[in-house]
Amino acid sequence: MKKIFLLALILFGAKLNAFSQELYVFTEPASNMPTKSIGVRITNEGMFNYPGYVSRTIPEVMFGFNKNLMAHAQAFLSDMDGKYRLEGGSLYAKYRFLSVDDTHSHFRASAFGRLSTSKRPTYTRDINLEGDNSGLQGGLIFTQLLHKLALSATLGYAHAFDNQSRQVAGMPRPNNMLSYSLSSGYLVLPVAYTDYKQPNFNVYLELLGKTDPSSGQSYLDIAPAIQMILNSKTRIDLGYRFQATGNLEGRYTKNMYLLRAEFNFFNILK
Amino acid sequence: MLFFAAQVSAQKITSADLQVNGLTCSMCSNATQKSLETLGFISSVKPDLNRNIFVLTFKKDADINLDLIRKKVQDAGFSLGGLTANFNFNQLKIDDKGQAVVDGNVYRFINAKNKTLNGTVKASVVDKNFISGTEFKKQAATANSDAYTSGTGIVNGKKTRIYHLSIS
Repeated sequence: MKKIFLLALILFGAKLNAFSQELYVFTEPASNMPTKSIGVRITNEGMFNYPGYVSRTIPEVMFGFNKNLMAHAQAFLSDMDGKYRLEGGSLYAKYRFLSVDDTHSHFRASAFGRLSTSKRPTYTRDINLEGDNSGLQGGLIFTQLLHKLALSATLGYAHAFDNQSRQVAGMPRPNNMLSYSLSSGYLVLPVAYTDYKQPNFNVYLELLGKTDPSSGQSYLDIAPAIQMILNSKTRIDLGYRFQATGNLEGRYTKNMYLLRAEFNFFNILK
Repeated sequence: MLFFAAQVSAQKITSADLQVNGLTCSMCSNATQKSLETLGFISSVKPDLNRNIFVLTFKKDADINLDLIRKKVQDAGFSLGGLTANFNFNQLKIDDKGQAVVDGNVYRFINAKNKTLNGTVKASVVDKNFISGTEFKKQAATANSDAYTSGTGIVNGKKTRIYHLSIS
C-alpha cells in the first residue's frame, strides 16, 4: 500500500506540464462553490459483479451560503436489495477555515460533516454514508494548488449508528471507519481559453482508502476519471474505482463506475 | 461655474483591470463574472480567460465601491491578485502625507505627495486582499503604518476607509 502511495506521488509530481484542476470526481476539494449559487447533480453508480449488475442513483442539490460555508443534500435510490427503491438520504456541510492565496498557488483547508440515513441491511464492517449506512462523519480537507499541480488530501472518521433490526445475523457489524484520500487533477483542454463556450476537458487520478480501526482491515482504490465542462456551467464526470489492495470483506463501492451530470446556477440565491 | 461643478462630480473611475487568483477552470471564471455582474455600478465585465483578468467598465456618475468588487471576487471563492484602475482626477491636490479626498473617498498615495493630479491617472490599489498575501506583507513592512495595515484611519475625527494607491 505504501508503495502505491509513493508511486502515485511520483506520478503526480511528474505531470508538471499540465494545468491543475481541482473539481475532483470521487472527493470534494477544500474550495467551496460560489456564494449564492445552487448546483444540481444526478449521479449514477454501478457495479457489474455484485454478483449481478446493480446501480444507485443519487440526486443531489448543493448550496453556496457564503464564501466559507456550503452544503449538499442527497437522496439514494438503488436496486441493491432487489427492487429499485429509495434507500435514504444524506446532508453534508463544508466550512473553509483557511485560505492562503498567492499568484500561482493557493492552499485551502476545510472541515466537513455528514449525517446519513439508509434502510439497507448491514453485513460488513465497511461504512459508506452515501447510500449504504446510517451514521455520522467528520473530517478535514487540504487542497494545495502549486503552479500547475493541484493536490488534495481528505481525512475522515465515520461512525455508523447501531441498528440491531437491520443487522444481518452472523455477519460483521459496522462501527467506526477511518477514510483517507489523495487526489490530483489536470486540465487537458483547452490549451488557450478564448470564451466561456469552449468545452474544458479534465483528467483526474485519485487514491481512495479506508481502514477499520478495530480490526485493522483496509482497502485502497485507484480511481481515474475524466470530466467535461460545457458552457462554463455544466459538468459531466465519468470515473471508475479499482481496488488496488485490500482485505475488507463485503465492502461497498468495489470496482464501481460513476457517471455524473452537474448543473450550476450562479447567483440565484438572494 | 455650475457646469464645472457637475463635471467634478462626474465619474471618478472609468475602468479597472482586475487580476483574479486561483481560477483553474472556465466555470470558476464564469462564477466570478456572474458575481461581479451583480454590482449595480458596473456596466460591463470583459474576461481575458487566459490571463485571468477581468476588464471592468463603470456606469457614469455611479458610486464605485472598490471593496465591494473585492468582496464579490472573494464570494465566488477566489482572491484578487491586483486591481489597476483608471481614475479621473480634476486638479486633485495630494498633501504632504500623500493623502487626497475625492467625494468622500480617501486615497493615500504610496508613491506621490505634494502634487496635483489632473486627468486620467492609472493607479493600483495596494491594500490588504487587493494584492497577494506575500506582496501585502512586503508592502506592510516597508510602509510601517497602521492605516496601511488596517486600511482605515482617522480623517476629520472619524474612522474612515483609506484606499492606498500606487500610481503606475
